[in-house]
Amino acid sequence: MADLPEAPDRDLIDRLRHGDEEAFRGLFHRYAPTAKALAQRVVRRSHLAEEIVQDAFMAVWKNPGAYDADRGSVRSWLMGLVHHRAVDLVRREEAHRRRSEAAIPEALEEQADHADEIVDRLGAPEERRAVRSALDELPAEQREVLEMMYFAGLSQSQIAEKTGTPLGTVKSRTLLGMRRMRGALAEVER
Amino acid sequence: MTLDHSRIEELMAIDALGGLDGDDVALLERERAAHGDCEECRALESGFAETAGRLGFALTPAPVDDSMIDWILAQPQDRRGDGARVDLDRPHDQLAERRARRTRGWQVLIAAAAVVALVIVALVALRPSRTGSTEASSSQRVVTFTGDAEGTLAMAFTPGEPGAVIWGRDLPDPGPGNVYEIWMIEGDEAVSGGCVAPSDGAVALRVEADIDTTDTMAVTEEPADCPSAPTSAPILSADLTALV
Repeated sequence: MADLPEAPDRDLIDRLRHGDEEAFRGLFHRYAPTAKALAQRVVRRSHLAEEIVQDAFMAVWKNPGAYDADRGSVRSWLMGLVHHRAVDLVRREEAHRRRSEAAIPEALEEQADHADEIVDRLGAPEERRAVRSALDELPAEQREVLEMMYFAGLSQSQIAEKTGTPLGTVKSRTLLGMRRMRGALAEVER
Repeated sequence: MTLDHSRIEELMAIDALGGLDGDDVALLERERAAHGDCEECRALESGFAETAGRLGFALTPAPVDDSMIDWILAQPQDRRGDGARVDLDRPHDQLAERRARRTRGWQVLIAAAAVVALVIVALVALRPSRTGSTEASSSQRVVTFTGDAEGTLAMAFTPGEPGAVIWGRDLPDPGPGNVYEIWMIEGDEAVSGGCVAPSDGAVALRVEADIDTTDTMAVTEEPADCPSAPTSAPILSADLTALV
């Protein structure tokens, strides 16, 4: 359908509620690559990431009514579905946690590879630049906590233990980092 | 105890990133309930959820096998629109539903509190034994849980209508870092109805579920992260087969 590339996400969700398969394809092509990247970052295994993406998009297809526009954008809702599943998986697997320890210091740098021009075609290049820029502007200790929590799937207590930082400090850094990110991304939206 | 918004803001920020653990999980649930239908809380929670969701876009997208699309589209849509019942072999769906139910839960707890009050009145008036069930009104049913645990746990519901209110008192502490998890069991399928930490032995929560299709309600002691499948044997249960 010619209007799909520009169709607002919420229109696609509305159409999904009526069983519109083209709307699902549109949503999938728009966000599945980023969803796969997120799942892969958290679980560290491509085949599991693929399963998580499939499971999340299956939930979207089966029950698009679960999306509540009052609670935020479609893209964040989708990423939340994926992230919850990925974190749930890693929390079940202690072995994975050991593998991720070695990968944590790499943070996002490993993603800044030479394929950016190619993968831009996969989706949301402007959004990616905006979020990366906002992350880069965070104080290092706040960025570290956010990345460990979100991208490595570590809990606040695990971060405190791993970094030797008091739990209260981990919490306050998380809050400050999220406040800054929220403000910076809201600024980009304007 | 009700915390100010600066405290609940911190808990919500961590929760949005999936990092909340330990006693803070139950603490956030209690605070959500205490704050009730709070506009500032909703704004904080949706704002952090939005921010967390956008973090994923910092990553370089990864190619996805398009054949997945046709496989998904071959599955029937859930026309009921509630998404409440999910097979046990799909624990991730349960997790998402549980989180959705949890976030919805604090918004409806104010309404549930009124119902709880009615239940308490009914329980006191009817003084049920630790076992069995009774009819609280012409339409409402109250059933008490039985099992090895001390204390009293009861559930009020109206046959034919979704949702139930569970209320308990004098319940033992589930142990450090643990909570009680409510399960709706139909056949060999157990669906979580949410987790609750007792306060001075008392609990009160609303369960969003179709009680009519539930055979048994059960309670287990679980870690505070509220697992999507039971990890321990029920300490209390209630047979609904003769009631609905």
